[in-house]
Amino acid sequence: MDIERTTGLIFNIQRYSIHDGPGIRTLVFLKGCPLRCEWCANPESQLGHPEIIVVPNRCIGCGKCIAICPEKAITSTPIGNVINRSRCTVCGICVEHCFAEALQIMGTTKTAYDVLQDIEGDDIFYQHSGGGVTISGGEPFTQAKFTFSLLKLCKERGLNTAVETSGFTSYEIIEACLPYTDLFLYDIKHLDCDIHKQHTGVENSLIIDNARRLAAKGANLTVRLPVIPGFNDSEENLVNTVEFVKEIGVTEMHLLPYHRFGEQKYRQLGREYKLTIMPPEQERMESILKMVERRGVNVKVGGN
Amino acid sequence: MEPTLRVKSLRKRLRSFPQAICVERAVLITESYRETEGEPMVIRRAKALSRILEKMSIYIGDGELIVGNQASAPNKAPVFPETGARWVAEQLDSFATRTVNRFLVTEEEKKVLRDILTYWKEKTVLEVAPKLLPDETREIFELTYPVISPTLFLRNCVGHLVPNYAAILKRGFGGIRTEVQEKMESLDPSMPENISKLQFYRAVLIICDAVSHFAQRYADLAEQLASTEDDESRKKELKDIAEICRWVPENPARTFREALQAFWFLQLIIHIETDGLAESPGRFDQYLYPYFSKDLAEGKLTLEEAQELLDCVWIKMNEVIKLSDIPPAAKYFGGVTMSENLILGGINEDGEDVTNELSYLCLEADRHIMLPQPALSIRLHSRTPERFLLKVVELIKTGGGKPAIFNDEIIIPSLMSDGIPLKDARNYAIVGCVEPTPSDNTNGWTNAAMFNLGKCLELALHNGVCQLSGKRIGLETGDAKTFTSFDQVMSAFKKQVSYFIKHMVTMLNTWDKVHAELIPTPFVSSFMDDCIAKGQDLAEGGARFNFTGPQGIGLADVADSLTAIKTLVFEKKLLSMDQLIDALSNDFEGQEDVRLLLRNKAPKYGNAETTPDLLAREVGLFYCREVAQYNNPRGGKYRPGLYPVASNVPLGGVVGALPNGRKKGIPLADGISPVHGCDVKGPTAVLRSVSRVEHAAATNGTLLNIKFHPSALKSENDMKKLISLLRSFCSLKLMHIQFNVVSADTLRMAQLDPENNRDLMVRVAGYSAMFVDLDKKLQDDIIERTEHML
Ligand code: SF4
Ligand code: SF4
Repeated sequence: MDIERTTGLIFNIQRYSIHDGPGIRTLVFLKGCPLRCEWCANPESQLGHPEIIVVPNRCIGCGKCIAICPEKAITSTPIGNVINRSRCTVCGICVEHCFAEALQIMGTTKTAYDVLQDIEGDDIFYQHSGGGVTISGGEPFTQAKFTFSLLKLCKERGLNTAVETSGFTSYEIIEACLPYTDLFLYDIKHLDCDIHKQHTGVENSLIIDNARRLAAKGANLTVRLPVIPGFNDSEENLVNTVEFVKEIGVTEMHLLPYHRFGEQKYRQLGREYKLTIMPPEQERMESILKMVERRGVNVKVGGN
Repeated sequence: MEPTLRVKSLRKRLRSFPQAICVERAVLITESYRETEGEPMVIRRAKALSRILEKMSIYIGDGELIVGNQASAPNKAPVFPETGARWVAEQLDSFATRTVNRFLVTEEEKKVLRDILTYWKEKTVLEVAPKLLPDETREIFELTYPVISPTLFLRNCVGHLVPNYAAILKRGFGGIRTEVQEKMESLDPSMPENISKLQFYRAVLIICDAVSHFAQRYADLAEQLASTEDDESRKKELKDIAEICRWVPENPARTFREALQAFWFLQLIIHIETDGLAESPGRFDQYLYPYFSKDLAEGKLTLEEAQELLDCVWIKMNEVIKLSDIPPAAKYFGGVTMSENLILGGINEDGEDVTNELSYLCLEADRHIMLPQPALSIRLHSRTPERFLLKVVELIKTGGGKPAIFNDEIIIPSLMSDGIPLKDARNYAIVGCVEPTPSDNTNGWTNAAMFNLGKCLELALHNGVCQLSGKRIGLETGDAKTFTSFDQVMSAFKKQVSYFIKHMVTMLNTWDKVHAELIPTPFVSSFMDDCIAKGQDLAEGGARFNFTGPQGIGLADVADSLTAIKTLVFEKKLLSMDQLIDALSNDFEGQEDVRLLLRNKAPKYGNAETTPDLLAREVGLFYCREVAQYNNPRGGKYRPGLYPVASNVPLGGVVGALPNGRKKGIPLADGISPVHGCDVKGPTAVLRSVSRVEHAAATNGTLLNIKFHPSALKSENDMKKLISLLRSFCSLKLMHIQFNVVSADTLRMAQLDPENNRDLMVRVAGYSAMFVDLDKKLQDDIIERTEHML
């Protein structure tokens, strides 16, 4: 397999990322995720194919997109243009003709080599900061070949590599990437299987099991816990999570407080945002932080 | 360390005085000029300064440890009729009533000034110099929508110096006096070339006496105050002040405090001699260090005392102000800043890092005082200590925009490429905003003019016709509608640039000669190498190195515009030249679609993309090479820069629509920074783009502004990452960077003007987003958090 030519579906590449692993990093966001977490702040990452998003406040109302769409999928409404997603073939013609960038395409196919080039452009910043690349998503391992290729290419060039994962994938896939991955930012959302399934769409057994096996293999793991009020912030679940982290021999945790910044993206994608909860108070985060610290795990709010 | 109560109350007191005009200096200089008519100008200047220093009101404020005032009260601005007579007269009725930068002035004072100012008619640079221009240049000078803005040194003295403070600290004016006397004795007065030298030396002798006498006046006043002071500790302080002022600056400083007081007298009198801006203290932490470390070692000084004294100097620096020149018709005003640049850290003549304990105390002083002066800078190089950078980042985090950071690794070699020897290059400081200048010996005319690259492009696209006036003001470079290749566009642009640069040089060289004639500056010449050795005033070319530095403005707008033409017109053919020129002529009226195509569908400088970045490089390099081929009357070269001060706003005001989708009158980009809102890939991409501009050619300085949301600087970890960014900046060999920590107000502005703020990235809870793409509710939420964080 020519790994340089492996392709992946990417929806964003973000530089000067300072909270997702050591140093100054470039974040590569892959599209597609098997989970459907209710709080997901990147809904554009979920589906494994390109999508059109509508940014109404950029629209100048020229009507070109409506006229040009071969599927007649766009209609003008008082709240902005709306795309009939069942008709849209994501041909991208409307995006090309919308000079206002009120229509954008999420998800472009790129080769691992092209992405590598893009990442390496910031090399000097990695050198001075001990940074590198973090592959995020979506769930990177749903594009297993691409993730493997990119990690391998990066590692061969001496870059520091990290993967941000939900852990919901077959162990063999992760294991193959192990030699090329310096750090796993590993999400654990809830320890109770039923509750997990109810709010994320999948059971947690695979996730838990993979974490255990990875840790046993000596992988460098940081467990990330999104703190979602009312879902996983009960004292019981928090304590269980920390104890599990300790049990498998992981020493680092990140607490990621729930926020609502993703809300508007649901609208842009023509979807509904169902959660009505509010972000945790700062005091609450601090008290959780202290609790985790007391139990002997290094912990931060946000990334490092 | 927290500021002492004394420092807090001095700072508060300074802020309590309203800005007002002081007429004393104007009265005294006019009196003196009237008496000295017919004498050599350099002598007249020396006598005039001497009169001012002898007769002006002096005061010692409650609690002051460092003394010396510029005008009759804090926040009062003296008047300099020798440069300002005409504009001061024109603005006399608006000073107290205008909306920005108001200066109170009484009816009585106005009357005094009106009487005086008539004496100066036809005697100022502003009135004399333009008449000397050749006709064609004069027409270009008088344009309503100009390509060149050369007026700073027409309406003010030049300033922009880093004089040799150390020489006076070490030798005192007594030492200068002796040297000058010896020189005079050795000169044969019958030799023709010695006539002007002897006049210059006589002027310096007058100055030496005047300065020493000025200090004695403070000594007398302090003694007098001490005699009636009840508080014993203040009484002692006043006695100390008296003793210090009796000794410096006539004699060499013996202690840190004497050295600071002597420094302050120099810095102050510079601002009484002329109204030049950007009189820069330079490597303050270097020339004061010997006094500081000696006192510390001998137990004569504690760190707390040193800090308090520095804080007092910082306050004093903000007491010196300048009447701001705002023509009543001015639409845009960039603001006046004294730009007294003080720089810390860096390497010495031997290449060793010389960041020292005093450098840290100076950073702390700035944090204590938090006022505009000095314009604080630091020198960064590959071995700058981490501890120092941590302190620097802490100061950046406070959001005051200070310090600016300069890169030894590129500035030193680029100064050498201008013919500066290694030792002097290593001893550079910054003048004004960003202009690298060897310490002690250079008259750089660093802010000589602003050159509007954006306007040149406008003219190239309209066959020399100004889109604001409809008049042909540039070269006829051909009807752009008929251009069939990108090269034709580029070549028309370059022709306009060359043509106007030549006229700019003609103007500046004319001003230069008139300055030498009308405004010699014997005071500052007395401690500027090699004026005394050569027997020549600074204004005539007495300094060892002489330059003239005009700045090109609008680099990013031009690069983006050329990129749009190249990619959209000639490569993708989405637009014809005909359509483009029509849209520009109409300022995109009714053609928002074309404007958005240009703005959004062509790559932009600042995102690490090859086409715009290389075009920025080509345009920058072309401007620099064109400028660098000219010489000035002081025996020096032209030295190009790419920075705007605040002129990108007014300069944008005179430029018509451009092919980057910028509408008529919108500000141009700032220095070599990308166009506002166009750099959407974060700071690393900006740094990479900017690194492709040839910094070594822009030896008069470049400017790069980066915006940061405070959330990116929250934890210690974030700060370490900013340090890594700075280290990368150093390796990328960029000259200058400064950080603007975004305030809640900036975000509010962005809500109102999203298009020009697309680059505003906010990171909240580890989540990054472009601020303007968030909906209103979220934006409001972030504004609230921002207020909380700063
Ligand atoms: S093309 Fe773009 S700007 Fe025009 S109506 Fe469609 S979405 Fe709006
Ligand atoms: S992507 Fe194609 S099908 Fe979908 S809305 Fe746009 S033009 Fe229509």
